[in-house]
Amino acid sequence: MSDLDRQIEQLKRCEPLKESEVKALCLKAMEILVEEGNVQRVDAPVTICGDIHGQFYDMKELFKVGGDCPKTNYLFLGDFVDRGFYSVETFLLLLALKVRYPDRITLIRGNHESRQITQVYGFYDECLRKYGSVNVWRYCTDIFDYLSLSALIENKIFGVHGGLSPNITTLDQIRTIDRKQEVPHDGAMCDLLWSDPEDSVEGWGLSPRGAGYLFGANVVSSFNHSNNIDYICRAHQLVMEGYKWMFNNQIVTVWSAPNYCYRCGNVAAILELDENLNKQFRVFEAAPQEARGVPSKKPAPDYFL
Amino acid sequence: MATTVSGAHSSTVAIQATNDDAAASKLSCVKKGYIKDDYVHFFVRRPVRRSPIINRGYFARWAVLRRLLLQFLEPKCYSSESIHMKKQILSLGAGFDTTYFQLVEEGITPYLYVELDFKEVTSKKTALIEHHAQLKEKLGAEATICKEKGEVLGDHYKLLPVDLRDIGQLDSVMALAQLDSSLPTFIIAECVLIYLDPNSTCSIVRWASKAFSTAIFFVYEQIHPDDPFGEQMMKNLESRGCPLLSLHATPTLLAKEKLFLDQGWQRAVAWDMLKVYNEFIETQEKRRIERLELFDEFEEWYMMQEHYCVAYAINDANGIFIDFGFSENQTMASPSQESQHYESMV
Repeated sequence: MSDLDRQIEQLKRCEPLKESEVKALCLKAMEILVEEGNVQRVDAPVTICGDIHGQFYDMKELFKVGGDCPKTNYLFLGDFVDRGFYSVETFLLLLALKVRYPDRITLIRGNHESRQITQVYGFYDECLRKYGSVNVWRYCTDIFDYLSLSALIENKIFGVHGGLSPNITTLDQIRTIDRKQEVPHDGAMCDLLWSDPEDSVEGWGLSPRGAGYLFGANVVSSFNHSNNIDYICRAHQLVMEGYKWMFNNQIVTVWSAPNYCYRCGNVAAILELDENLNKQFRVFEAAPQEARGVPSKKPAPDYFL
Repeated sequence: MATTVSGAHSSTVAIQATNDDAAASKLSCVKKGYIKDDYVHFFVRRPVRRSPIINRGYFARWAVLRRLLLQFLEPKCYSSESIHMKKQILSLGAGFDTTYFQLVEEGITPYLYVELDFKEVTSKKTALIEHHAQLKEKLGAEATICKEKGEVLGDHYKLLPVDLRDIGQLDSVMALAQLDSSLPTFIIAECVLIYLDPNSTCSIVRWASKAFSTAIFFVYEQIHPDDPFGEQMMKNLESRGCPLLSLHATPTLLAKEKLFLDQGWQRAVAWDMLKVYNEFIETQEKRRIERLELFDEFEEWYMMQEHYCVAYAINDANGIFIDFGFSENQTMASPSQESQHYESMV
């Protein structure tokens, strides 16, 4: 068994790698990711997954439902880290799978794959707690800069973490972005990772998030039309039923973190596309307590008490 | 809900622990600049940094209580003879709340501020007040502090141990604290009644209505136990040992209002915290705090705020509370979703 296979087995047990192993893994991953385009081509069949947010045991449920990689070809739409208790193990497992099976798993960048956000929402603190230094956080956030920004499945389905940008009308415009940087505060790259579709908006609106935009149905129609896209598949927003179509099936939100933050009580979903792009949503619930390993770290989500 | 004696006990300990949790959260807010409180740090042994959604939620809770409390204390707007009317505040399950100390510092000490909680809590609080001069000096020179009894008796401030479920104790505490049933009284119960069984909750609400003819009873607590978020909330708090025993009896805003009206209060109003935040918290304050931290938790924020409410009930024998409450003095609600910029972060 190769080192990498051994590491994958270890990560599947939710045991983090040594710091030196993380460094080596990230270097290998960088070589692979640097070759990917900003609009990474993906072949069907493929299973599309939304936000995971460090909910490692729930991601194991996801693999139970969707099948293991490499048997199943996966596209993850970003937000692997922050909020949950196992961002380190979650991201490293996905990254190790990427290095081991580069053509069977595609990882694109979410707005939480950022130095700034991870310092507020938990990944930074988790690395510090688990390794006693922030080196692993540095290796991982350096890798974030290499993650692709979007995916194009069989030239028909556009996958992105957040949504569209007023600066972008064609996929070629995305291809010209120099992505190897921290997520900027504005501009096309920021918008792809931060924006949200919104029923009540026509055209473009201000986002309450302070980054990205809200965009309406007409924006999606014209983007899909100009780029000959059937629909957009994105993540980024919690939807209680796991997935949600909007704008007359021109855009779908897929959310893959069940009982988000161990608090929201939502179900999760993944979208399976067969070789003919037929769709099947698979809905799943959070891992039962007994599947969370022994001794189980009981999640204690915050409330106002 | 039946609980064994030992179960009830462990639950009591867990409920007391919610006090430490709340104090730590308030300190997290203070450190980030959401709220000003120069005293809460005395009550937190291990400071923690809470996520922005928790900070913002505690800010909202602090801001709504403060605004209503200041309305109550405001001397001028009532009838002419009552300009300097003496006023009382009675805080049920006060925990490590620091409002009294903050009011003194701001020069708006009420005539009487009474805090009640389990003896385990008042003992700790008593010891901390004794230990820290900045707290102790706010009590006045004549104050007596008894750590053994968990009791502080100052001119304007009383801290007394009581089990709120024992209504008989409430009457004797009222005498001991020298609460005057004829004075305007603001009763505070933040996340307190919801942990008690529904009968105890009703009894306390009824007792307060009978005890004070000119009073406001302010409640901040959970609602909606029956949707997916609410079910998860019930489960999570139960597994922490502090189940929300009263929530199924008062699951909605209407039910909260009805609880008060059924127990003798003249008027009652309940709003969920999303509405409170959007329509009652001052716009300028929201603008200020929404810039303090990067905030990326909107779906969750809406859900969480929809599962908490403020309810207040009014007994107004003398007609001094006609203008009190939410409906008054609205600068028309700006939706809180204004664009924020977080360049200053990092």
